[in-house]
Amino acid sequence: MHVFHIRYRNTQGTLMRILTAACRRGIDTPYVQAEPSAHEHKVTLLMEVNQKQVGQLSRDWYAIVDVLEVDPAIAVHEVAERTRVARAISSGAPHPPGSAVLAGDGATQPALA
Amino acid sequence: MRKGSQIVLECLRAEGVDLVFGYPGGAIMPLYDALEGSGVRHILTRHEQGAVFAAEGYARVAGKVGVAMATSGPGATNLVTGIADAKMDSVPLVCITGQVRSALIGSDAFQETDVFGLTLSMTKWSRLVKSIQEIPAVIAEGFHWARSGRPGPVVIDIPTDLLKASMEFGGAVKFTPHQRPADTPAAPEFTDTLVAMLQQASKPVALVGAGAKLSGAIPELRQLLDRLNVPTFATVHGLGAVDPTVPYYLGMVGMHGTRAANTALHETDLLMVFGARLDDRVTGDPSRFAPDAKIVHFEIDPAQLDRVRPCQLAVMGDLAETIPAFHEELRRASLPDCSRWRAVACGPGRAELDPRGLAQPTIRFLDELFSRLPEDSVIVADVGQHQMWAAQRYHSDSARGFITSGGLGAMGFALPAAVGVQLAQPETTVLCVSGDGGIQMNIQELATIRRLGLPIKTVIIDNQYLGMVRQWQQLFYQRNYAETDLSDNPDFVEIAKAYRITGQRIHEEVMREFPVAAETGDQLDRFLRSREPELLVFDCHPEANVYPMVPAGAALSEMLFEEE
Repeated sequence: MHVFHIRYRNTQGTLMRILTAACRRGIDTPYVQAEPSAHEHKVTLLMEVNQKQVGQLSRDWYAIVDVLEVDPAIAVHEVAERTRVARAISSGAPHPPGSAVLAGDGATQPALA
Repeated sequence: MRKGSQIVLECLRAEGVDLVFGYPGGAIMPLYDALEGSGVRHILTRHEQGAVFAAEGYARVAGKVGVAMATSGPGATNLVTGIADAKMDSVPLVCITGQVRSALIGSDAFQETDVFGLTLSMTKWSRLVKSIQEIPAVIAEGFHWARSGRPGPVVIDIPTDLLKASMEFGGAVKFTPHQRPADTPAAPEFTDTLVAMLQQASKPVALVGAGAKLSGAIPELRQLLDRLNVPTFATVHGLGAVDPTVPYYLGMVGMHGTRAANTALHETDLLMVFGARLDDRVTGDPSRFAPDAKIVHFEIDPAQLDRVRPCQLAVMGDLAETIPAFHEELRRASLPDCSRWRAVACGPGRAELDPRGLAQPTIRFLDELFSRLPEDSVIVADVGQHQMWAAQRYHSDSARGFITSGGLGAMGFALPAAVGVQLAQPETTVLCVSGDGGIQMNIQELATIRRLGLPIKTVIIDNQYLGMVRQWQQLFYQRNYAETDLSDNPDFVEIAKAYRITGQRIHEEVMREFPVAAETGDQLDRFLRSREPELLVFDCHPEANVYPMVPAGAALSEMLFEEE
């Protein structure tokens, strides 16, 4: 599983365009959280992708005119090592569906907020 | 006070629009009501798909944004194929659709369709207008995105009540785009890296795509290619970007590309790509595409990088800036001698064989026709075998002289697109080359051609089949010609007459004579010189095939050739 953070202008359809880039490739997105972030919006996506898809998705998202920034994908187990974020998980951040398997330990766990 | 419909038209005028293509209907009636006296000429096609393809044809040769208008519901859904086509082929297009009244949106009202949602994945940008006050800003932003960067389609959906509403209007507005990291151009150091890569390469090649033409940097590109002097080829949309008479030019590359181009691309150790997407029709099997090559990709659209294979050097930005920068660096650099490679790649050992087999008369017919065209003519090809034959035989250096639906491959494109081309260039000879399948997908546009008196020359290569599909059935499905037989076609000459267009027929037998008989040559000359709409049916052998051919999933080196 990889986590993506995308900053975007919250104009009509921009979030849908971001999600469609994954849908058109048949990639499931078990966790999505969109929220205001300063003067823009930010969406966090969790998805199972290979390295080629990471590149393709990032470039597709950059091509959306109202996307401002795409954070490179981070494998979830790498993120989990960053303890601050890991603590956020255990402190009751929103949970994804139970099918979200985190890379690294194979256990079904909640994903990142 | 101005009505919303008047504001739309005034904003279009401010964007330089004086011609739109469309088809009226309920929700967009207020916009049609305001057309008279607006300074915007409307071309009525006979189907919304005809309107959007015509707008595309106009945009492709005029270098301006094409505009298509349609009503809500079925009017809007009929635009969809053209919108997808514009996305694939990077055509600047703005589609304005009427929508049901604001209060009815979401109620499944009569002729209501979610055109915004429907076109979300195939538009570069789109808006459902929510208030009359938004109209000027939405139109300004829509046109900006349609024409900027990699051009593409935009949809602006306007509820009918907003077109009828009124407000004080202070004039069109300008749109200022926001800056973002993705817009960062290539760092100037790329030229050092690229020169170093060139100096290490022994078999460099250049591949030219539509992006080179869209950048408007054709003279700069040609100067650069002269300096590089490496084997060079073009995608179907890159045809005309390179002067076909230069000795290093090898023609079209890809599934039906030339033997020399495909072989050189397979063997290269340094591939320089200038504005091409590298889609599957160009690469063949991606895992065996240019297996020994490092790839340098000049590109304006970040989404096109690394689609097939990772490139070693991405040169992001407008080719109008990056090509001259590279050329400037090359002036100071010494390049290794690659004359031996050039001699092999461009040498007579890989020259194209003379046309032979069942397709020979059709190819000769196209050669005869093209050789009689005035300079700067525009050929508009539909989709199928005739498209590939026409692309293979196109040897002009006119950058906007060959128009086709290359990415989407939308049959029915050519006839309405030719309408747009002819309106953009009234004095130019416009030759529409279609097939017996494709012509029937938008044959109603003969009425548009007749109404406007456009001197478009329409050629139908009639093989009584959906020829390209039949070719694949022959080669890969054991000749199971499932549902590709069109032998019950109507008489196209009689159809033309019904539209009050002169029709005539040439049988392929006359093309077996060499040279062609004087009367056949005269017939072709009269056809091309006429200032009236003309239609010519060429009876082609039903089992003529397009060669060379790289089978789907094969490497470019695995071309099939016509059997003896």
